[in-house]
Amino acid sequence: MNDETLTLYYYNDGLSTREREQVAHALATDPAVSERYQALCRDLQGIVDTGIDKAPADMVQRWHEGLDRAIGLEVQAAPKPAVHSWSFLLGVAVTAALAIGVGIGVFISGDEQNVTPMMEELIVDNDVTDRGNSSAFIRGLQVHLRESERGLTALPASTDSDKALLIMGIIEQNRLLERAAEQNDSASLARVLRAFELVLVQLAADDVTAEDAEALRAKLLFELNVVLTKLAHDTSDEPQSI
Amino acid sequence: MVAVMKNPAPPSRAEFHEAISNRSDRWYAACLKITRNQHLAEDAVQEALLAAWNKRHQFQQTARLETWIHRIAVNSALQLLRKNRPGVFEPLEIDVADETESPESAQHDFELNQELSRAFKVLSEIERVCFVLKHLEQWRLKEIADELDVKIDTVKQALFRGVKKLRVRMKDLQGEPL
Repeated sequence: MNDETLTLYYYNDGLSTREREQVAHALATDPAVSERYQALCRDLQGIVDTGIDKAPADMVQRWHEGLDRAIGLEVQAAPKPAVHSWSFLLGVAVTAALAIGVGIGVFISGDEQNVTPMMEELIVDNDVTDRGNSSAFIRGLQVHLRESERGLTALPASTDSDKALLIMGIIEQNRLLERAAEQNDSASLARVLRAFELVLVQLAADDVTAEDAEALRAKLLFELNVVLTKLAHDTSDEPQSI
Repeated sequence: MVAVMKNPAPPSRAEFHEAISNRSDRWYAACLKITRNQHLAEDAVQEALLAAWNKRHQFQQTARLETWIHRIAVNSALQLLRKNRPGVFEPLEIDVADETESPESAQHDFELNQELSRAFKVLSEIERVCFVLKHLEQWRLKEIADELDVKIDTVKQALFRGVKKLRVRMKDLQGEPL
C-alpha cells in the first residue's frame, strides 16, 4: 500500500469502492500501514490556513465601487418600465426594421443602393455638418463609433464581466452623443444612436444565447461600418454634408 | 393540483455589499494562493463580483451567496493565471519547482510571511494549484482536471508530489525562525 493510495483514501476521492475496501482492510490488519496513514493524516491536517491574507482596505473599497459602477450602468441601460409599452413595441419594430434592412443590404451587393435603415437616416437628414458647431460633434461621434467597432470586434475574446462593462460603457457614451445630436438639431442621428442602443441592450441581456449574441454583434459591426463610411465620405466631400 | 413555486428573489445589491464586507478577505486569500500575484487576485475577485451580479438570477437560494462568489472567484483566478501564463498547467516531464520568483510573488511573501505561503515556494505551479484546489478548496479531482483542462492522472500526480514536498517542507519550516 503506497502513500499515493493512502493520500487518495484520506481525501475520499479517486479510488473505487473496491480500492477503498482494500485500503480499509489493510489499515485494520497491517500496523505498519496504519502507522503510515496516521502520520499522513497528522501532516495533512497540519497543513491549514493559519491566517487569512487580509485584503487591503483600499482594495475592498474598489470592489464595492466596481460593483456599484456595474449596477449603475445596468440601471441606465435597462429597458423602460412596462407603462411605456408602446415604446417597447416601437423598439421591437425598429429592431425588426434593422434586421430586415441588414438582410436587404446583404442581398444587394456592392453598389450605392446598399443602404441600411441607420444609414438611410443619415442620407435623409442633411442638417448636421453644415452647422458651425457641429464638426466637433461629428469628430466625437466618429471616435465613439470607431471605439465601439473596436470593442465589439474584440468582444468574443473578453470575459463575461468585461463584456458587460464594455457594452455598458458603449451605451453610456452612446447616450451622451444621442443628447448631443438632439442639441445639434439632428433628430436623425439621435434616432440612429437610439437604434444602436436598442441592439446593444439586447446584446447585454443575461439570457441572450451565444448564437443570438453573435448575430447581434455582426449586425452592429455592419451598421457601424456603414455609418462610419458615410460620415467619412460626407465630411471629406465639401461642401456636401450629411 | 400543481403547486406553483414562486421564484425566490435574487440576492440584492445590499447583500452583495454585505458579502464583500464579510467575506472578501477569504476570496482574496484563495485567489492569492492560486495566482501568487496581488493584482491578479484583486482582478479575480472583481471579475467574480461582476459575473455573480450579472448571473444573480441563476443563484440557488440553497447555497450561500458568499460561497457561490468564492467559487466564481477561484475560477476567475484560474482563468487569469492561465491567461497570464499560458501553458502553466501543462505537466512537466521532470519534477521541479518553479525556482524563479517574480517580483510580485516576492512582495507577496514579504507581506504575507506565513508558513504555508513559504512552504508553497517549493511547489511548481501545477502542484500548488492542485494542492490548493484539493486540500484547501476541497474540489473533486475530476473538477480540478476539468477546470485545468488536464487529465485526472496529471492532477493526481501533481497532488502526490505536492503533498510529498509539503510534508517535508512544513517539518523544516517548523524548525526555522520566521
